Formats: sequence, structure tokens, C-alpha cells
Amino acid sequence: MNSPVRVGNTTHGPERSRLSRMASDPKIRGWVAQAVVGTLIVLAGYYLVSQTIYNMEKRGLTAGFDFLSSTAGFSIGFHLIDYQPTDTFSRVFLVGVVNTLFVSVIAIIFATLFGFVMGIARLSHNWLIARLAATYVEVVRNTPLLLQIFVWYLGVFTLLPPPKQAFELVFGVFVLNNRGFYATAAVPGELFWITGIAIIAGLALTFMFRRSARAQQEATGDAPSYAWKALAVLVAAPAAVFVLTGAPLSWEVPTLKGFNYQGGWAVPPPFLALLIALTVYTSAFIAEIVRAGIQSVGKGQTEAALSLGLPRSRTLKLVVIPQAMRAIIPPLISQYLNIVKNSSLAVAIAYPDLVGLWMQTSLNQAGRAIEIVATTMLFYMVVSLSISGLLNIYNRRVQLQER
Amino acid sequence: MSDMHSETDMAKAGVTKDAEPFNPKPARLPPGLSVGPLAWMKQNLFATWLDTIITIICAVIIFMLVRHLVTWGILDSVWDAANRRECMNKSPEGACWAGPRLWFHQFIYGLYNVDERWRVNIGFFVLVAWMVPLFLSRVTVKLPTAAGLVLTYPLFTSYLFYGGEKGMLWTIVSALGIACFIWAMINLLLELFAGKPLGKLLEQKFGMISLKSRMLLLLALWAAVSIVWSGVELEVVRTVRWGGLFVTLVVAGIGITFALPAGIVLALGRRSKLPLIRIVCVVFIEVFRSVPLITVLFMATTMVPLFLPEGVTFDKLLRAIIAVCLFAAAYMAEVVRGGLQSIPRGQYEAAAAMGLGYWRTTGLIIMPQALKLMIPNILSNFIGLFKDTTLVAIIGLFDLLGMVQAMSEATDWIGLVDEPYLFAALVYFIGCFAMSRYARHLENKLSTEHR
Repeated sequence: MNSPVRVGNTTHGPERSRLSRMASDPKIRGWVAQAVVGTLIVLAGYYLVSQTIYNMEKRGLTAGFDFLSSTAGFSIGFHLIDYQPTDTFSRVFLVGVVNTLFVSVIAIIFATLFGFVMGIARLSHNWLIARLAATYVEVVRNTPLLLQIFVWYLGVFTLLPPPKQAFELVFGVFVLNNRGFYATAAVPGELFWITGIAIIAGLALTFMFRRSARAQQEATGDAPSYAWKALAVLVAAPAAVFVLTGAPLSWEVPTLKGFNYQGGWAVPPPFLALLIALTVYTSAFIAEIVRAGIQSVGKGQTEAALSLGLPRSRTLKLVVIPQAMRAIIPPLISQYLNIVKNSSLAVAIAYPDLVGLWMQTSLNQAGRAIEIVATTMLFYMVVSLSISGLLNIYNRRVQLQER
Repeated sequence: MSDMHSETDMAKAGVTKDAEPFNPKPARLPPGLSVGPLAWMKQNLFATWLDTIITIICAVIIFMLVRHLVTWGILDSVWDAANRRECMNKSPEGACWAGPRLWFHQFIYGLYNVDERWRVNIGFFVLVAWMVPLFLSRVTVKLPTAAGLVLTYPLFTSYLFYGGEKGMLWTIVSALGIACFIWAMINLLLELFAGKPLGKLLEQKFGMISLKSRMLLLLALWAAVSIVWSGVELEVVRTVRWGGLFVTLVVAGIGITFALPAGIVLALGRRSKLPLIRIVCVVFIEVFRSVPLITVLFMATTMVPLFLPEGVTFDKLLRAIIAVCLFAAAYMAEVVRGGLQSIPRGQYEAAAAMGLGYWRTTGLIIMPQALKLMIPNILSNFIGLFKDTTLVAIIGLFDLLGMVQAMSEATDWIGLVDEPYLFAALVYFIGCFAMSRYARHLENKLSTEHR
């Protein structure tokens, strides 16, 4: 606050001492400030490190990452990659990472779909729908996520009937009970890879059709339809290949054996509770983003497009949505990041995500607080930095080219 | 020629006139259903076929939901029972509000000593009373009141809530909070009933009165309060007994109070031209923003004990508060940065042209404008923080959510989930919704755009 008001360099004159001139030189003051901050940080760091080493020696704790290769010794309720209690701690970390990413990715997909529906519903001309969507958004956004997770878990999924009275949905393709959600799994046979290749080839061909159609439209103004061709290579060809190779796909239906359902593809109740809570919570935020994005496109844009003779559907597709997306995508991606971070609340309902497996169970077992906290944070930082990196690339691409 | 024409015209006109006298048609009725409630329904509920179907389906669902809620929550509910079994016997299908009713005090105060709960109440009412002048438009002196609240209220309440033996220093420090509160209340009453703050009144009576002499008056008040206050000693209430909404508000309150100044410092540091300071701030902000709060809380509970010298222990609540503060500061820094970025360059250049240095440019030109722009974002950040305080339940503190969880696991009420969680949801909803509405109101009020 004691910066002297400088009127100009010339008025300083010789009557001021060298020291006071130096004191008011912003460059020198900057260096002094940095030196002070740097010294403080070094001192604090030195204190923390020495104190920690002292404390750890006193308690007989050791440091280092050697525990990663020792046996974890505990079992994990839900894992997507192979895991046995005899596996090492590094495997536990990997299981946690996969579980976190798994629930996040599925929640991202559902939250996006549901959020867009709700955001558009808020703008509906049907008063009842608009009100309902607004109520949904306000109620969900203004209650804590953790509370919602508890309500879904304790209030819904643990109250489901036991396996013997399970809900069998769609003729037993899906089963829901208090042990989890079971879905019929498709087990690919030996020759299934050929069908896989056919699907990939179909996708590639469709992409090429699209490009040549675009090119033709740019050149001549005609937009050729490639829907039939795409249907042929995307559906008909893979289906034919599938049949010709002898339909190498079998179905594994979940069936009640003993006290529980066996077979198929299963997720436990905490996963469902977490997934639904994350989806519901984030979709309310996405709905607001979508609404704001659509409203940010000026009315003049729609009017101009209509006066050019574009039909309503094309006005939406070619004029409104591309401009709305520019406003929607950056906050949307930061919501995705929030989903990844919020999935850590899994620890409260014992879904084995990274925080639950690593920061709780492994930390209790191995006791390496610093290493475990650091690696967990590093994981989230890598995810966060890579997502914000993608966001920056996107922003640069869609930036308005201003003159 | 013209005469002839006019004659024939007249004749023609005359013929028709005689045959059919002019008879104005009656005014047409307004098109059916363009005004009134029916028209509104037609436009907004039954505009198209699809709309009609959707409206009817929604209406049926809403009706069934409301009917279920009313029968479950009101008609069939039980308000008087000692445990869940009794509730079930009385009304198996209805809500058991007896549980939340019996636990209501625990939801608010946690296990805070029953005889000492008045201290929490006093703390709360002092806060509310202190905030009244900030929301009244008739009150002119707001900035000093707000500063006093933010700086001295925590000093007073930290003793009020914790209690114990207070030495000379702590007596004086916490008395400052009381003195400032009394000062603010005197000012409030004077402004309401005399229409002028204390300073203005004194000026009228005794002529010019300087800031210094007003400060002397406050000092005298402080001294007087300290003397009285030194005779008061409150029983110790350890923080393990703190709980319920009280802890939620303590954690959120401290987080909010710390986050704003710390966020401003971090945001300024991030924009600084000095590389070292910039790097430190960027690293701090990015690290805390990219990790989930729960990892920071776990870090605080597991790592902080390793950092402390022997004999020094931080209790769990304090560790949680530290974690929340660090986390909130990083988020607030980004809000502040957003506000700073929206100030046009011209403002900096104009300030430089006036010969203002960095601190004066920031304090007098940039910050006042930026803070005004930031207010809605700051408030929505506060809402987020208020909701995030529930995470302390995971590390074993009994905030409102933790207390609710404890109740649904207590032997008498085990398995009672919907009712207590609904109560907690309502409390959080009221708090957050009120804040978000207030943010919107402020946004409109402070907006100086010409529309």
C-alpha cells in the first residue's frame, strides 16, 4: 500500500537517495517479493519434510513405493479386470482406476442424454413440461450429491427384494434384486472377430460415403442421399457375415442358482446407486448448460435462416445447434470432469473405486499415507489436465475468427 | 362531361341505396379461445396432439405422486412413537416422523451438551442480528459492519462454542467480537429510529468528530466488555460432541470466510508478472481444483498428523476445516480470476495514466468493479461449498448428514431412511435455494447494463 505515486521518471531528481529510488523501482521490488516468497516456501518445505521424517522414524514408519509389489491380501467386491487377494497393491490401484473410470464413463453417457432431454424440456412450449423440468433441475441442484447417493442406496437399492423374489425384466433378460443388477451377456464365439471386422469396415465405408456426399454438395449444390448405401454396409453386410460364419455368439442368461443369480453380466447395488445419483445430479447441471446454450443463440439467427427459406428442421440442424454447441461444450466438459471427481463419493457406500480401494483400504493395510495420497491425487490430476487439454484444443478450433 | 358522369353515378348510387339501406354487419366475435384461462390452457397445455397426450400423462403421474406423498407423509403418518417398531405397529404404510422429531435436537446440535445448547443458539442469533443491517436498504453504514462481522465474529464464537479457561489474551481477543457486535447493534437501532448512524449523530451534537475519536469510543467499549467478559467462564465442549446442522454451518461458515480473501490473493498472484509467485499460485489452484474434495479430506486426516511437531494435535474437525478452506480457496480463486479477466484493459491503462501504482489500481479501480461482476458466481460457489460440507460425514464427523446417517443406524430406528434423509434434504434445499434466489436478485440489482 505504500507505493509512492510516480508522476514521471524525470521528477525523481537527484535529491532522492539511491536506496529510496531502488525501493520504488518495480523491478527490484518484484525481485525482493519473489525472494521473500521463495525463502518462505523453502523454509516451510524444509520444516515439513524434516518434521515428517522425524515423526515417521518415531512411529517406525517407512517410506517408499516398495509396498506396491507386496501382496494386498484383501478381496474386492467388484472388479472388471482379474483380481485375486494374492495380487499386489499395484494391481489394487489398477482395479480402482478401472472401476472409477467405468462408473464415470457410463454416468457421463447417461447424464449427457438425460441432461439434453431436460434442458430442451425446460424450453418446451408445453407449460407443464417446462415447469416439471425446472422443478427437477432446482430440486436436484440444490441438494447435496452425497445425500442423494445415500437415498438411492439406502432408500432404493437395499430395499429391493431378495434374489428369490427378484424382478425379472423383459422376460428375464435383466434381473434386479438387492444383490445387484444382472443382464444377459453376449459371449462372442471363436469366429466373432470376422463380424467385428465387418462392422469396422462398414463404419469406414459410411464415413467415406459421407465425405464424397459432402464433396459433391460443395461442388454442385446437390446433397446426394447415402442412407441406403450406409444401411447396406453398416447392417446388412455385418449381419450376412455373422450368419455365414455360423452365428458365433451365445447368450448367457442370469439364472437363480442356490441363493443368488449366476451368469450374465452383473453390477452390485452400490454401483447402481452411484451411477444413478451421478447421472441425476449431473444431468440437472447439464440441463441448465443446454438451456443457456440454446438461449444464447440470438433470435435473429433463427429468423434469418427461416427467411432464407430453410425449413425448421434444417434451421435447427445447421444454424441453431452448431452455434449453441459452441456455448454448451466447454461447460459440458467441465461437468464430465466433475463426474470423474464426484465418483469418489463411492467411498461412502462401499463401491470399490480408486479412493475407496486405494486411499481407504490400501492405506489402512499398507500405511503409506504420503505415497498413497500422492498417487491418488496424481491420477485425478492426470485425468483433469488431459480433459482440460482437450477442452483447450476444442476451444481453439471453434473460436470465432474475428477480423 | 363531368356533370353527366356525376349524374349517372348519383343515379346508380341512388338506385342501390333505395333497394338496400346500409346496414353494418355486427362485429365478429373474437376467435374462439384466444383469451382467458381456457385459451391459455389450449396454447400451453394442449397445443398439439402430442402435447395433449404428454400433458395428460404428466398430470396423471403428478396426481398419483402427490396422492401417494399426502397419504404417506400426512394422512397415514405417525408423529408419536418411541421406536420404529411402534411406528410400524401404528401405521405400517405411513411415514414415521416420530424418529426425526425425537432426534430433531441431535440433527441441529449433534451431541452438544444439552445444558450448553443455548451457546449455539446465542451464536446463531448474534450472527443473524449482525447480518440484519447488511440486508436493510435503510442502513447506510454497511462496509464497517460487514468487516466487523467477518473479522471479529469468529473470534467471539470460537470461545463461545468451545469454552474452557480463557487467558488474558483470549479474553481480550474474544471481547473484541462482542464489542463490535454491540457497536453494530447500536448503529442499527440508531439508523432505524433516529435515521442516522452514531457517527453522524455525534457530529451533529459535538461538531466535527474524527475517525480517531470514534475509534477511541470503540476502544472504550472494548475495554469495558473485556472487564465484564473476564468474569465469565464457560464449560468446555469438546469438538467431538459438536454435530448436526451446527457443524455444517461452522465448516461452511469458516470455509466461506476464508475462501474469499484467500481466493482474491491467489487470483492476483496468478495474474502477477512475477514468475515465482505466479507459478506458486497456479500450482496451488490447479492441484486443488483437479482433485476431489474427499481426497483432500483424507489427506488432511492422514497426513497432517505427520507434519505436526510432537505434542501438537489438531482435532478432526479442525483438520476437516483446513481441508475445506484450502479447497474452497482454490475454487474461489478461479471465480475471482474470471471477474478480473472481464475488466477491460482500458481500466488498467486509465489507472496507470492517473499515476496509480499496482496496489491502488487493484484496490480502487479493478477490484470494486470485478467483485461486483463476480457476486453471482461467488454465491453459487458458496452454494457448492455448503453442499460439499456433507463430505465431512465420510471422514467420521457428525454434520447434519452424518447425524441423519447415525439415526438410521441407531438401534431404535434402524432402517428408517426416507424420513430423516427427507428432512436433511429439505434443510439443504432451503439453504441452497434461498442463496441461489438471492444471487439472482443481486445480479439484477447490481446490473448496470442499459437494457
